[in-house]
Amino acid sequence: MTNLIDRYVYTALRRVPEQQRGDIDRELRASIEDAVDARVEAGEERTAAVESTLIELGDPDRLADQYAGRSNFLIGPELFPIWRKLLTTLLATVLPIVVIVGVVVQLVDDPDVGKVIGGAVTAILTVGTQMAFWVTAVFAILERTGSARTELKHHWTLKDLPRYEPSNIPRSEVAAGVVWPVLLIAGLVLQQFSFSAVPVLNPGNWTFWWPYLIVALVLGAVFQVWLYRRGRFDRTVSVVNAVQQLITAVPLIWLVATGRFVNPEFGWFAGLDSGADIKEWVTKALIGVLIAGTAVDIVKVTVRGERARKGLPAKVPGTGGYGV
Amino acid sequence: MTMDATLSGHLQELRRGTVVVASLIVLRTPGYGYSLLETLGRAGFEVEANTLYPLLRRLEAQGLLTSEWNTDEARPRKFYRTTAQGDAIAGTLREEWSRLDSAIGDLSTTTGSEE
Repeated sequence: MTNLIDRYVYTALRRVPEQQRGDIDRELRASIEDAVDARVEAGEERTAAVESTLIELGDPDRLADQYAGRSNFLIGPELFPIWRKLLTTLLATVLPIVVIVGVVVQLVDDPDVGKVIGGAVTAILTVGTQMAFWVTAVFAILERTGSARTELKHHWTLKDLPRYEPSNIPRSEVAAGVVWPVLLIAGLVLQQFSFSAVPVLNPGNWTFWWPYLIVALVLGAVFQVWLYRRGRFDRTVSVVNAVQQLITAVPLIWLVATGRFVNPEFGWFAGLDSGADIKEWVTKALIGVLIAGTAVDIVKVTVRGERARKGLPAKVPGTGGYGV
Repeated sequence: MTMDATLSGHLQELRRGTVVVASLIVLRTPGYGYSLLETLGRAGFEVEANTLYPLLRRLEAQGLLTSEWNTDEARPRKFYRTTAQGDAIAGTLREEWSRLDSAIGDLSTTTGSEE
């Protein structure tokens, strides 16, 4: 049976570098005995003196950390900003790309709603966890080995300051938002008469869906002008934008999904009939692009709205080397 | 955070480093861990054993202290002594301490918070 002091010293020494162990062993024991003696002289009973001395010395693991000069943190203040920037960048850019690619592949493979959502959630959890783990692991090793610390250290300069947009709504974006629907409408009308011998898109839709689409696109352009005159993003804008996006995207996706989008007479697509797989693949890829594009737009406008609501100025994309 | 916790946090910040100066000054006459702990305690330095003992080894590794085992008595003890380098550093640290003290005193008089 070992006594309390032995147990304490052994526990502390386990986590101390080997070459220092003998010396610390002797010194620590002497210090403990000195403290116990002082307590006994002051009138305490020996067993009680040992107990209170060890309690005062505290957790032997912490003592060992102090002796070994080990830091009791995973990533210190020097590396933390770089760790945070890298991780947020990865989670904000690489993770969505991986998830979107996964969703598109799943759509092509088997467009079952449950499988698509399940796959996306699984991808977010597993890929996100892996990213967080490996980035943290590498930084913890850098912290301990001390290598690359000076190279990684970020020297902040004035160039790292981001620029902010003078107005919340940049003119160029409004112009693009008006020109794009106009071009689409022109394309839709022109493809009926020119471009190819047979129209590319299903002429059967001129009875309702193509006129509907033109109206929806015009509304999109009107929305941009309204937004510009309103002069700011907010919740109303987010909702109106989402409605505006959905009234265009949902019927389009439905048309594509049910095979009513492309003209069945159109040579290239009709010729694909023999290879039905490719036709299906094209259809699904188109659906994937439409869904992703609409989702990105709705999220982008909503994020801007929330930022503006909190009074945060809009950062000009691509400026500012630091912070995401 | 309560006021007490705020105060003790600031006090800790302020006291950090004073133990090093005090130890280097006291150990100009050789001493061992527990004796130093007692001396510092009596002098009004709040220091815990689990901080002081590892600190002594760190100062030794930095060359500010040197050590020797004394086996003359029944209980062998490791005696530390301040080196010339340690003494020089302690001197510089003390000068800085008095400079800060008088600077703070000057601040109080110029801002009129003290008569």
